Amino acid sequence: MAGLAATPCVFSQVTLDQSRRTSHAGAVTPFAPVVPGYTMRFPHDEGSHPEFRLEWWYVTGWLAGAGGAAIGFQITFFRARPARRTANPSTFAPHHMLIAHAAIADPARGRLQRDQRAARAAFELAGAAQGRTEVWIDDWSFRQQGERYVATVAARSFRLDLVLTSTQPPMLQGAAGLSRKGPRPESASYYYSIPHLDASGTLTRNGSTETVGGVAWLDHEWSSSYMDERAVGWDWIGINLDDGGALMAFRMRDPTGRSFWAGGAYRSAAGSVQVFAPDAVRFTPLRHWRSSRTGANYPVSWRVSAGGREIDIEPLFDDQENDTRATTGAVYWEGAVRALRAGASVGRGYLELTGYWRRLQL
Amino acid sequence: MASARLAPHASALTASGTRFLPFRALVSGPLREHPGHALLALAAIALGVALGVAVHLINSSALNEFNLAAHHLAGEADLVVRGPRAGFDETLYPRIARLPQVEAANPAVELEVPILGKEGTLRIIGFDPLRTAQVQPSLLPERTAEVAELFAADSILLSPSAARWLGLDMGAALRMMVGTGVVEVKVVGMLPEGGYRQRVGVMDIATAQWRLGRLGKLSRIDLRLKPGVVVTAFQRELQNELPPGVYVATPETDAERGASLSRAYRLNLDMLALIALFTGAFLVFSSQMLALMRRRAQFALLRALGVTRRSLANWLLAEAAVVGAIGAILGLALGYAVARFAIANFGTDLGAGYFRGIVPGIHVDPVALIAYFALGVLFAVLGAAAPALEAARRAPAKALHAGDEEEGLRGVRTTWPGIASCAIGALLAFAPAVDGLPVAAYCAIALILSGVILLLPQFVSGVLKRVSAPRSVPAALALAQLQATPRQIAVSAAAIVASFSLMVAMLIMVHSFRSSLETWLEHMLPADLYLRALRGGETGFLTPEEQNRLQSTPGVERIEFLRSQNLLLASDRPPVVLLAGPADSAAMLLAIGPTVIPRAGEPPAVWVSEVAADLYGWRTGQRVQLPIGASSREYTVAGIWRDYVRQSGAIAIDRQLYVNLTGDALANDAAIWIAPGAALPDVERALRERLGNAQGIEIASTREVRANSLALFDRTFAVTYALEIAAVLIGLFGISVSFGAQALARRREFGMLRHIGMSRRGIGAMLGWEGAIVSIFGAAVGLALGWITGLILIHVVNRQSFHWSMDLHVPWLPLAALAAVLAAASIVTAVWSGRAAMSDDVIRAVREDW
Amino acid sequence: MLAIRKLTKSYGGVRPRTLLDDVTFDLAAGEYVAIMGESGVGKSTLLNLIAGLDVPDSGSVTLAEREVTALDDAERTLVRRNHIGFVFQAFHLLPHLTVAQNVALPLSLIGAAPDEAGARVAEMLTAVGLSRAGASYPRELSGGELQRAAIARALVHRPLLTLADEPTGNLDAANGAQVLTLLRAEVKRNGGAGILVTHSATAAASADRVFTLASDGLRLRN
Repeated sequence: MAGLAATPCVFSQVTLDQSRRTSHAGAVTPFAPVVPGYTMRFPHDEGSHPEFRLEWWYVTGWLAGAGGAAIGFQITFFRARPARRTANPSTFAPHHMLIAHAAIADPARGRLQRDQRAARAAFELAGAAQGRTEVWIDDWSFRQQGERYVATVAARSFRLDLVLTSTQPPMLQGAAGLSRKGPRPESASYYYSIPHLDASGTLTRNGSTETVGGVAWLDHEWSSSYMDERAVGWDWIGINLDDGGALMAFRMRDPTGRSFWAGGAYRSAAGSVQVFAPDAVRFTPLRHWRSSRTGANYPVSWRVSAGGREIDIEPLFDDQENDTRATTGAVYWEGAVRALRAGASVGRGYLELTGYWRRLQL
Repeated sequence: MASARLAPHASALTASGTRFLPFRALVSGPLREHPGHALLALAAIALGVALGVAVHLINSSALNEFNLAAHHLAGEADLVVRGPRAGFDETLYPRIARLPQVEAANPAVELEVPILGKEGTLRIIGFDPLRTAQVQPSLLPERTAEVAELFAADSILLSPSAARWLGLDMGAALRMMVGTGVVEVKVVGMLPEGGYRQRVGVMDIATAQWRLGRLGKLSRIDLRLKPGVVVTAFQRELQNELPPGVYVATPETDAERGASLSRAYRLNLDMLALIALFTGAFLVFSSQMLALMRRRAQFALLRALGVTRRSLANWLLAEAAVVGAIGAILGLALGYAVARFAIANFGTDLGAGYFRGIVPGIHVDPVALIAYFALGVLFAVLGAAAPALEAARRAPAKALHAGDEEEGLRGVRTTWPGIASCAIGALLAFAPAVDGLPVAAYCAIALILSGVILLLPQFVSGVLKRVSAPRSVPAALALAQLQATPRQIAVSAAAIVASFSLMVAMLIMVHSFRSSLETWLEHMLPADLYLRALRGGETGFLTPEEQNRLQSTPGVERIEFLRSQNLLLASDRPPVVLLAGPADSAAMLLAIGPTVIPRAGEPPAVWVSEVAADLYGWRTGQRVQLPIGASSREYTVAGIWRDYVRQSGAIAIDRQLYVNLTGDALANDAAIWIAPGAALPDVERALRERLGNAQGIEIASTREVRANSLALFDRTFAVTYALEIAAVLIGLFGISVSFGAQALARRREFGMLRHIGMSRRGIGAMLGWEGAIVSIFGAAVGLALGWITGLILIHVVNRQSFHWSMDLHVPWLPLAALAAVLAAASIVTAVWSGRAAMSDDVIRAVREDW
Repeated sequence: MLAIRKLTKSYGGVRPRTLLDDVTFDLAAGEYVAIMGESGVGKSTLLNLIAGLDVPDSGSVTLAEREVTALDDAERTLVRRNHIGFVFQAFHLLPHLTVAQNVALPLSLIGAAPDEAGARVAEMLTAVGLSRAGASYPRELSGGELQRAAIARALVHRPLLTLADEPTGNLDAANGAQVLTLLRAEVKRNGGAGILVTHSATAAASADRVFTLASDGLRLRN
């Protein structure tokens, strides 16, 4: 689910506006629909699905260096396709667009260090391979090598080189990987997660490199029609529970701020999966933080009850607002959080809050 | 205190009141009494400063705009890779982008595109907005949504100035002419106000490549390097990797290359303005000198009363400085106003076409304004210095006598400095260009002009001595007056000599240029009709299929196609035009000097324009390496031809060879010879029909092409004419000032003549004669000097600035007419200046006794 | 020869005043008279009216049977050129002409033949004692010499009337006396009439008759 926030609006504008551009060349792209009955195959489905409009690979996690202080990180690659197909024979023709975001959440800094990239898939300078995970923009990349993923991000203010090793099989979200986002069946995505990835590598900042290790969570999601028209934004969590379990929960908010859809799943360390019905998930804000930069008021602390489980969510620090206006036009909150039960930490993961700055424009 | 004696009621005055008495006596008194004199000096300085400031402002605004525009284009780029108009292969882009030293690479397609129903072209830049965001973020609209719009097919963003020029708003359709047809795109947004200053349309690179017929090609790649990469070292390294004809340069060099085209033109304008200021200085000098001379008796009295030499001189210089300062301030204001007006109405290149598409905005450089202000004050003080010092030095008793004015000038020894100045000037005329600019030649012109003016008194008295007294009393009196005062005449005539010689020189130069251009056009346009796919733009072309259709048009006897591309031969020079034409094109080019036809086995022939030969040091018979087509190879320079159009040089080549080398079989132009008996309009109609009456086709007869070319030429030189007229007006103004001053000084003389029975008309005739004689000297010397200056302009200045040779054509008749007009004008001026002398007031002047 | 009838002239301006009121006066050929009067009484105005340099409000001036006051400016100029000679207080020789050329000026204006003119100039220069100064320029002459040259110029074309306005004003007593003697002698020799305007009784004494100009008119002084 994560990453929906950053859906490249560079194309969304075009989609919304189809009616008034009939004079323009190019036919409507026949995007593949998300329909029940699809069986995910691995590693095939870890690769790109170019027939779908939107796709992302989203890695979040907690790292610690030699000193032991916790740092959150986020690496995301988006692949998007314009709403209109072009007959343009130019090599530059924007058949696919790639966008990448990366951020480091270090409590010592008190705010995110982040960078972003965007490029069209052309000249092999940027692209997304089919059949296996391999997405890249220039020297930023996320590649699958057997059971492992290698992520390389050369941001302006930091460089992150990570090897992520699977310790658990993929966790298919929703109904065997079909995750609905609203009451209408077409607003849905194919969605799997790989929780409890073992992360190790190096983080370079200010010219010094430190060895880091930790635990990460990968989301891979693709769809052609995502948001219900009522949706203003959503709240999402993905938590690696300390006991080896994994919890994902989200809810979609309407303009009044109320949930009109929700979902999620819990998988125990043993592998038993509990999928939550929309009414089984409840998000209750506990505390807000207001961004002085954008004025957005984010509920950064939560009580989430899902399928009878109840945990509290507490951020690593408050200011994990992510401004990606340059590539996606969106400002949202994407941050490292702890999961607490009765005040005791039971897991670590990421919280995503969208639509608090402005209605998320897709 | 000496001044106390001046005031009979000194006791009634305060100390501070008496301190300024000399000032009152010398400066404010006369100023109040004869405000006209001060006003004339004021106006002279104001006019000179205004002219200089106006030209400077216009030039510096143009350059500033140009630099700003270039700077904005370059953004944060460290290096710019640029190819010829035909572009370079796009696969260079990933190769460069992957280099480890490169942080970001932004590829672009750049074209001048004609717009349907619009005179002139719009520069279209096709870039990848996502890459632009990395290298030049300021070029992008602030709203991401507008960037997003770009990805939709056939979308364009316009710079604010382009939108204004086109009169288009969001959502409107822009019709661009490509090939022989029209491509319609939609204006989906506006570029930020602070981004592109030029008239620019921005498209997605993919759309631009496709819609403008540039698939697979790029015009430029802007690079941002990783921190720590040494730019110069990497630039050298990268240059070695680039295909022939593609160069990597720093953004500064890239911008300079653009500005270098107009450099000589700008220098020429600046020089004209300086010459005008120089002429103005003569006017200041003569008006100050004569005004002070008129007051010599008063000064003598003051000296007699005990005012010291030093304080007299100081007060006079202070007076000049005050007049100069006021004049200079007026001049700054006037110059600013003129510049604003000119920029708003004619653009910063004053219609010469160097800064096409740049939005004019006036750029004021305070240092330059202060310099011009100082120059104005300096000229005023210098103009007053000689007479002021002389007035102070003069023994008071002698100066009290009438007729002493010439004495004041007698001390000025001018012969040797004049000869020296002329000699040095003559030597400098043969000096080579400095940094591509004819600086030495301009110095030569200034020195010769100064020298001639210094020799003027000698010359005038030498000539007048040989003239015997005419019968007519007014004429005889005029002659006697002038014979006795050669130095005063020299002062009066100096301004006219300076301005008229400038005008003559420019006329000779422009006329020679125009005549040579006419001859050249005749030679270059041998066919009957000329067909062009899209005038001015870079997107027009005729496909081979269209060429075949044209070939078989009834009424066409012969048709030759021309392909115009360009080549980059150096990173710091603008591209050289490559003209691929008929095999016998050599016959159509106006060759100068010998030609060498390469034998079989020798490198193929190219004909290079004079400009190219000068810029790159090529000689006939030389073998040169040229990047035509995919690889660079050797060619033989078969000959050098004269070309007045392509300022950065041109190379002509056999089109068949060009097609073989490049595979580019498109054509831009066609020269058409019609069959005997066929009617021009019929053939023209048939040709149009052959191309489906496409809108992008322009057909003109040889006569029309010639007329258009000459009209363009005239427009370019319009500003020069304006400056010349200004200079001559200043010259006439100078005559008026000096005659006015002299007439006032001679009021008692006129009064006496009226008493003894000379009529008003007689006095008018006498003044007219004086004016005529002075202006004949001015015109004759100006004509001779102008002829010399014209030679320097033609053979040195033009050659060094523009690398154009031309044949000397002196427009004798217009020059004679001009000299006549000038003489008439100065006679009228002289009589008009002396009209006070013909009033009844002069009758009373005989009773004035000093 | 010169007949002045009821000549009236007043000036407007800030302080309007009547300078000449009903002046009547006759002068015969060969007569040499002086007109005295205080400054500002209108002596010079009277001369200007006689010479046709100014026009009266009423009254007439008749010179050699031509009514000057009825002529236009061009005709008055011709009358002046042909029949009147002037001597000024400030000499007024043209600085860029030689003394001889200055003296020749009136002859040139009436278009005399050059050789005749040359002889006449030489004669006049000899008469005023400047026979050797003809080629000199005015700046080389003393005040007395300048005024003698001016007398030569005034009489060179044999005018009917010679008008002298304070001719000794800029000269010392000795030079002044010499000039007055010379002026009288030359006017008499010429046979025309002469009017000497002066405020000096000594100077006036050189004339045949002396008139006094006052605000109430011109009258003969005894």
